Amino acid sequence: MTHETTHENDIPDQECRMTTPTVSATGLSLSYGGTRALDDVALRLSAGVTGLLGPNGAGKTTLLRVLATAVPADRGAFTVLGHDPADAAGRQSVRRALGYLPQTPGFHPDFTAFEFVDYVAILKERTDRGARHREVRRVLDQVGLADARGKRIKKLSGGMRQRVALAAALVGDPGFVVLDEPTVGLDPEQRMRFRELIAQAGEGRTVLLSTHQTEDVAMLCHRVLVMAGGRVRFDGTPADLTDRAAGRVWSSAERDPGARAGWRTGTGTFRNLGDPPPGADLLPPTLEDGYLLTLDEADTAVTA
Amino acid sequence: MTATLLPQAPAAERTGPARTFSAVLALALLEGRRLLLSPPVLAALAAFTAWTVWRTPGVEDGHPALQDVDRATQGGPLLVALAVMLSVNHAVLRSKYRDTERHFSVLALGPGARTAAHALSLLPVALVTAVGVLAHFGYAALLPDAVGHGSPAELAVGPLTVLLFGAFGVLLARVVRSVAAAPIALVLLFLLFVAGALPVGDDERGTRWLLPIVSEPGPVIFPSDLLGRPAAWHALYLAGLTLVLGTLAVVRAGARGPLALGGLAVAVALAVTGGVLQTGTLPADVRAARERATLTPEKVQSCVRHTGTTYCAYPEWIPRTDRWAQVVDRIREASGVTASDPALVVRQRIDARFGPAADTDPEATGTPHQVTVGTSWGGNRVPEFAADVAGVLVAGDETKAGRICDGRAVTVMWLALSALPDPVGSLRDVRLDDSDTGSALVLSQTAPHSMTEAQTEVVRDLLDRPRAQVATRVKAHWTELTAPGITAAEAAGLLGAPKPQGDDKCED
Repeated sequence: MTHETTHENDIPDQECRMTTPTVSATGLSLSYGGTRALDDVALRLSAGVTGLLGPNGAGKTTLLRVLATAVPADRGAFTVLGHDPADAAGRQSVRRALGYLPQTPGFHPDFTAFEFVDYVAILKERTDRGARHREVRRVLDQVGLADARGKRIKKLSGGMRQRVALAAALVGDPGFVVLDEPTVGLDPEQRMRFRELIAQAGEGRTVLLSTHQTEDVAMLCHRVLVMAGGRVRFDGTPADLTDRAAGRVWSSAERDPGARAGWRTGTGTFRNLGDPPPGADLLPPTLEDGYLLTLDEADTAVTA
Repeated sequence: MTATLLPQAPAAERTGPARTFSAVLALALLEGRRLLLSPPVLAALAAFTAWTVWRTPGVEDGHPALQDVDRATQGGPLLVALAVMLSVNHAVLRSKYRDTERHFSVLALGPGARTAAHALSLLPVALVTAVGVLAHFGYAALLPDAVGHGSPAELAVGPLTVLLFGAFGVLLARVVRSVAAAPIALVLLFLLFVAGALPVGDDERGTRWLLPIVSEPGPVIFPSDLLGRPAAWHALYLAGLTLVLGTLAVVRAGARGPLALGGLAVAVALAVTGGVLQTGTLPADVRAARERATLTPEKVQSCVRHTGTTYCAYPEWIPRTDRWAQVVDRIREASGVTASDPALVVRQRIDARFGPAADTDPEATGTPHQVTVGTSWGGNRVPEFAADVAGVLVAGDETKAGRICDGRAVTVMWLALSALPDPVGSLRDVRLDDSDTGSALVLSQTAPHSMTEAQTEVVRDLLDRPRAQVATRVKAHWTELTAPGITAAEAAGLLGAPKPQGDDKCED
């Protein structure tokens, strides 16, 4: 199921990027050897945080890398802030507007946090030294690293490094920010802080957040895409995704053999997903329930 | 973590290629600072500074010829060049080894521009090297006894070598994506050098100029116009080669626009032009000038007259005639000749026909009352010159002075050595075996002669006596003391010294 719906904020006349799609893609396909990593993907993204859910191998990272111009698609086209990366000039324009936090980002451990973000700012062609340094200080302050900007990265904790990476993605005020599983490996407190930062980052700009964490999507995103097998299987609001499980989650004393998925909860009862038997004790659905059912349907579709 | 992350309008930036160019410069500045402060480069610069400080104060015994000093600045920067090659290679590969390439590959400044920034980052280190080179040369140039002219092209070789090796390091990182490649390349270069596969500095083939440094150290200092070194072409060759390596690295990194390819074409043209023009044979006019300066120096020299003596020198050495005159005047005032009789001529002579690397001294001249002086000064050259002056005053000309094999050597050596600030030290300096007893050969620019054991005894005794006292006896007995056949014992008797006990038979 693919919805090509557009979810635009109702904030008129502020900035162009807030009222028109920031990213628009049609027919994106990419194969690695015999594996179809992307299969006719179409999407339109606008301001705010959009979550990208999917199991391993669903094509999430490939989609992010294509949109970030790291790899070209075999087929299809897309624009970012009106720039078409098909030619060198357009690609350059897209890159100037891009903030990218790769999965497991690398660092230069001998650089200080300030030096590293400054380095990235230069690679983003921020050339006015004074303005650039103010901008670097600003983003480091905003990710909570004001006191650590002079520390070498090798001395920072994993969570602090991840914040350096986020600062590097945000430096230069990019219009389109791509975050590839930024909360992986963070403890709950760090993840909570990161959610706050990502939410702030989504104010006034377009953020595409790839994650395995449905809670992140539930708490941060105004919109969610679910990918499986290289295709977008769902495109809607988190509430829509949750609603997909409405009436399809029930409780039972034993695992229901007719359920598509089921597990024992902390109360000792089973939480079942699927088509409930008549008279079942229905439970209110969660985003994760909707996500799991969407994946299950995708598997069924592929098998069929 | 409560601050609001609101987008801010970025400061007004340039657009298009100008923006990219500005970013390249900004990155080059940052990388240049890191390169300059990298431990290998810092260590190499410290060693280079120490080398310069150690060498500079005693440069050519305090009497430098600047056309040699400029070349002497070329060796030290090689260490810096090697450190820069390793460090910049490592810096180019940093994003690969630190796994930042996935991130950086989607940023506006692409690999080509980043490579260009790395190539430009070499400039600060080259600039620091140039400061060191200029400090070395400037110190020598400011010495009161400095003569000659330095060549900007020769002075540029040190910093250009740093740039050349650095550019090689950048290119290597783009061709072989491993930090092991640069050290291996260094070892290979060293092995090639040891195996003799690389042309060396004293190789007469023009191919030696393909090496960055061709210092041609030789025992004889040449006038600038006789050097015949294609210094400007060589500097152009080095600059062109550096640009070739740098632009090749940029092209290899993926930048194949007209600027990169055009730059590469220009760089190749520069390198080929410099490379070809530097490897030609010695120009005919330089060859002719060397012949002229050797065989008929009077045609190219300038002369000055000072208290009865004429000093003729290659034009660059005219300021040094004062130093020669100080020695000549001291000798004459203690001798039995007047200030103007005989009319002594001190003429600078070298044998330039076989190039600066050839160890060829001019032959003694039979011209009456003419003394040869070389192009070096200070150290042993001073007592050698003093001995030559005294020899000509005693014997009449250099040829005869070289054949002195009798007691006249006592007068010659006392006149020469007593005119100098450290007579006994100078005695040791001027003798081949650095001795001050026994027999020995006395060094000279043109007329080496021997001292017997007996003569040495007498001279040592006389040097311990008041100079004025001995000088009075020299003047009084000048005719006898300069008569051929006088023995050391007779000379001692005339000069008031004890009769020597040692052997008085001069060496063959």
